[in-house]
Amino acid sequence: MKGKYYIQGSAAISPQESFFGSFTPQMPVVEGPLNRLRAKEPDYSGFITPNNLRRMSRVLKMGLVAALKCLQNSDIAIPDAIVTGTGRGSLQDTERFLHNIRDYAETALNPTPFIQSTYNSVNGLIALQQKCTRYNNTFVHRGFSFEHALLDGMMQLAEGRADVALVGAFDEMTDEHFYIKSRLGMWKTALTQPADLFTSGTTGTLSGEGAAFFTIGTTPGIARLDGIRMVYKPSRQELHAALESFLAQHRVAVTDIDLLISGQNGDTRYDQFYQQLTRQFFPQTAVQYFKPLCGEYETAGAFALWMAVQTLQAQGLQHVLVYNHFFGEQHTFFLLSAV
Amino acid sequence: MEALKLKLKQQIIEALNLQDTKPEDIDDNAPLFGEGLGLDSIDSLELMVLLERHYHIKVEDPREGRKILQSVQSMAEFIQSKQPA
Repeated sequence: MKGKYYIQGSAAISPQESFFGSFTPQMPVVEGPLNRLRAKEPDYSGFITPNNLRRMSRVLKMGLVAALKCLQNSDIAIPDAIVTGTGRGSLQDTERFLHNIRDYAETALNPTPFIQSTYNSVNGLIALQQKCTRYNNTFVHRGFSFEHALLDGMMQLAEGRADVALVGAFDEMTDEHFYIKSRLGMWKTALTQPADLFTSGTTGTLSGEGAAFFTIGTTPGIARLDGIRMVYKPSRQELHAALESFLAQHRVAVTDIDLLISGQNGDTRYDQFYQQLTRQFFPQTAVQYFKPLCGEYETAGAFALWMAVQTLQAQGLQHVLVYNHFFGEQHTFFLLSAV
Repeated sequence: MEALKLKLKQQIIEALNLQDTKPEDIDDNAPLFGEGLGLDSIDSLELMVLLERHYHIKVEDPREGRKILQSVQSMAEFIQSKQPA
């Protein structure tokens, strides 16, 4: 996609101390008994009135407040577009609603969890809070959810429909959903600390959650978003060819990349994608691994992009590449450059 | 009647997650919507569910609902009127 896109501001709520001040990566501790990293939530009362707060579930609060903080950081009140991605939506509300159906034999169902279980609840709340009646869209495409939201935001800019788009992602984990996904072999069975993720030599990974938002526009901001490339279920050759053509498209050589932010998550079934790519293209390049910091979830790529923005700025880097995939299926590259 | 009103206040607080509100903060006759507790239309649906779940009373007519949900007093009177003598 032609045109220049800049990140004007960002905000994140994650298992890191990411909401306030400057970001210093810290290895979190899994407290057990589940292999699960929980987001460190800020005090929401400064952003949402008590009357509204009482009704919101955890992910709605995380998503809404990350979005509001991002707008605040960008000095923007009303964006021209609100576009988000989520893999799971509000699980807490969905589960409450389903439990009500079971417990009350499909009668006397509470409206609140039903309304809020829809995937676009966060978008609606942002729009209501900011009185924004413009473009509003939510993408739910598993490991490509945030990526499609970002692409849509960029297309809004490219087509001149928006000057500034608010783009973000949010996902939460619940005990029940953790259990369901554990049946699919997504998580490690033995309690594993993030620091030991790559040496465990087992399948599965750590579950994570969080919300990250960005304002993107066409005027220079804090970082330039050169592009995004998505590849679905590629072979190793297809993946490597996609990377080569992606970098060539942006006239960036592999040796120009100062930092690779890698989504390696310690799952022995799929880590080979990261390892082979790093070995072949970036043997001398600095690599940071973000999954030990935030855990695995459908929109972890949004945290990676947020981390890339922070690191690019803090370390004065020229080019940062993010490579992530979701359980071997949805693969994504983001390329960021200094302004 | 007094016991019913207290129970009703506790159920309203729990159903609507009115975290900083205690039963004694709710005036029996104060309006639940607009002023008073400041509830809105979604809350009114939640209160309908409350009546159905705890008292097995289904309010079919929205106009009737408006009158019933005016205050704790009106809700309690309505519940009492529906209970077998």
